[in-house]
Amino acid sequence: MVFRFILRRLLSGVVLLFLISTIAFSLLYVGGGDIARRILGQMATPETVAQKSEELGLNRPLYEQYVDWLSGAVRGDLGSSWFTGQLVTEGITSRLAVTLSLVIGAIILIAIVAVILGVWAAIRGGWADKFVQAISILGFAIPGFLIALGLVTLFALNLKLFKPTGYTAFTDSPSGWAASVTLPIIALAIGGIAGVAQQVRGSVVDALRQDYVRTLRSRGLSFNRVVFKHVLRNAGGPALAVLAVQFVGLLGGAVIVEQIFAIPGLGQVSVQATTQGDIPMVMGLVVATAAIVVIVNLLIDLLQGWLNPKVRLS
Amino acid sequence: MFRWKSVTAAVAVAALALTGCSASDTSSSDSASSTLTLGLIVPATTFEAANMNFANESPYGQAVYDTLLKEDPSGELLPSLATEWSYNDTNTVLTLTLRDDVKFTDGTAFNADAAAQNLTRFRDGTSPNKSFLASLGSATAIDDTHVELTLTQPDPALLHYLTQNAGMQGSPAAFGAADAKTNPVGSGPYILDTKKTVVGTSYEFTANPDYWDKDSVHYDNLSLKVFADTTSMLNAVKGGQVNGAKLGDNTNNAEVEAAGYTLNPFELDWTGLILFDRAGTLNPALADVKVRQALNYAIDGPAMLKAVGEGLGTPTTQIFPESSAAYDKKLDDRYAYDPDEAKKLLAEAGYADGLTLDMPSTSLGNPAVFTLIEQQLKDVGITVNYTDTGTNFIADILAPKYGATWMQLQQDNDWALINFELTPNASFNPTHYQDPTVDALVATIGTTTGDEADAALKELNAYVVEQAWFAPWYRVQSNYATDAKTQVETQVGNAYPYLWNFTPAS
Repeated sequence: MVFRFILRRLLSGVVLLFLISTIAFSLLYVGGGDIARRILGQMATPETVAQKSEELGLNRPLYEQYVDWLSGAVRGDLGSSWFTGQLVTEGITSRLAVTLSLVIGAIILIAIVAVILGVWAAIRGGWADKFVQAISILGFAIPGFLIALGLVTLFALNLKLFKPTGYTAFTDSPSGWAASVTLPIIALAIGGIAGVAQQVRGSVVDALRQDYVRTLRSRGLSFNRVVFKHVLRNAGGPALAVLAVQFVGLLGGAVIVEQIFAIPGLGQVSVQATTQGDIPMVMGLVVATAAIVVIVNLLIDLLQGWLNPKVRLS
Repeated sequence: MFRWKSVTAAVAVAALALTGCSASDTSSSDSASSTLTLGLIVPATTFEAANMNFANESPYGQAVYDTLLKEDPSGELLPSLATEWSYNDTNTVLTLTLRDDVKFTDGTAFNADAAAQNLTRFRDGTSPNKSFLASLGSATAIDDTHVELTLTQPDPALLHYLTQNAGMQGSPAAFGAADAKTNPVGSGPYILDTKKTVVGTSYEFTANPDYWDKDSVHYDNLSLKVFADTTSMLNAVKGGQVNGAKLGDNTNNAEVEAAGYTLNPFELDWTGLILFDRAGTLNPALADVKVRQALNYAIDGPAMLKAVGEGLGTPTTQIFPESSAAYDKKLDDRYAYDPDEAKKLLAEAGYADGLTLDMPSTSLGNPAVFTLIEQQLKDVGITVNYTDTGTNFIADILAPKYGATWMQLQQDNDWALINFELTPNASFNPTHYQDPTVDALVATIGTTTGDEADAALKELNAYVVEQAWFAPWYRVQSNYATDAKTQVETQVGNAYPYLWNFTPAS
């Protein structure tokens, strides 16, 4: 049953990937312009530009180029970047871990802080509720890049507690890694905390009004036990759904944060590749990001099913 | 119930623990005196010697490759892999004497055959500067230490080109390797550490232990970091994370100096208008020299320098740099701002009622530039119609789709400049406009040397200014920032200082 579900979702994921890659390829070429000129810059003669176009196969019909790309992609060969010469698969895998560490770090931070704030607001009500709502609105209202810039200015440049730019791999130095990802993770998480805290608060308030809570309380279970064992489990489903959406949103947020902190993740390479018109790299990124989204959604569905048997049946 | 005080305390403890980590980390290895860390605004397009770019990418190539010749910061030729060089009487055969003690990092010996192969590959490759070796007919190894370059026509800039990417020497054993674009094999002062390098972001090098010219290597390690975003570059400077950095523009100079950095100014580019359509094929009005001169008079160059150039630069109306024999100080203000003169010239050319000019704009440039051009030209009766070309700006102007455009161009070595902007086949003469006077002067410059060539250069410059092929406003001052631990000499004619001119401050 579960395997059939996973298989079906994976198959639809493959169809989705095909559609997305086809659309992306067409769109990239529509707005592509003179790519060879962009690669070579203003110093190159028209003859060199023409030679480069031919070398890259840009003179061939669009469908031929796409079929070539697709047959390579199916075999796991996504070509190499036109602007750095690096293999696309290598460029993505080497940066995937960096972006995932930021996004997963931010998701964990969001989950912890948002659950604490949401549950606190729902249970305490009154000024605590208003306080959480106020900071949620602030978190929503301030653009991510401003938060990032504010964090760099205060904690890195003025207080000199962190490095303003750069990334240290965990394997090189765990403390260096923590120092390099702390500010970006906070910058990424603030907006998400605002959204998820509101969702958790709402779900907990709803759950607390349910009959079963009254029944459990009347049986003599402590309030804390009811909240943490039963209410949170019920409220967890919707919160997880929001977290899944957040995950995808954070991949987008990472684009700006990685640029500001000069972190070599997928976001940074996305900006570079799209501005330059580095089609092989952009196509690789589109496929990788779409695959991540498909996998994350599948995992969230499975997790929700585990949390809530009703979802399993549907 | 939640005990928020304990939660706050826990968060505070975690924060302290983290800041403890980071504080110690900030003061760690990056700033070690044996490592030179430089900020660049572009990644290396490729490390393959035959296709390498130069200018802002020059440090990548200079780290791993030797060139046949070198130049000092003022542009004087110096020996490198070639110790002697001489031309035949007709300047069509160049013979180079090569060192015999150089090995590539894969153990292959450098010799005349390797040099000949590298030169031919560059000529046939797709480097943006491939035209540097356009005059190379053949390169032949005479013996192990002598290579002969036969030219199809004299090329006064060839020796200069051999100091740049055209002269870079890669190991023939690595030609065509699958990873040639990201794993260079040269004989240069450094070796790229591909394991520590994040392509496109940071490139890490270690000193080549067997380097033949150890005196020119001042650091054990080299780290080239790419900051495509101006904000992150500025933050890296303010955070003291780089020893030297190329600043994208002059808007943050005060902050950079306040962070303890020294600004090393240099003037490389000129900025203003290029009036491509001298034959009037796209806009008949531009065929009239009076209209082109009117465009020179209509825009207040010194005011543009103040308004959009932060006042950092020198007003000029010529495209040749101060270091050139063609340079004439008087031509710096040949067309002093005079809107009345512009109107008078337009009237004489038959455009008393005004004319319309189609021009490209781009978000890559300062938007104020385009507004100011439009306003000032409107004042003399010229209506500008802009088309936003986005990232296709260069491609569109070189197509050519416009008769006139705003541009900022490098003031290169004379012969390079001539072949880049003036000759019928020059990239920045996309309408292939030809003028017999220019052709004759260029021919003299190409075939003579000394006073005769210098006189022709001066005459050419004066003629082009008088014919108003361009409408330059000012030479742009750029700045290279270095921290207190680092000294550098900027390089005439290049966007980035040469690697060996960085030294630890004494």
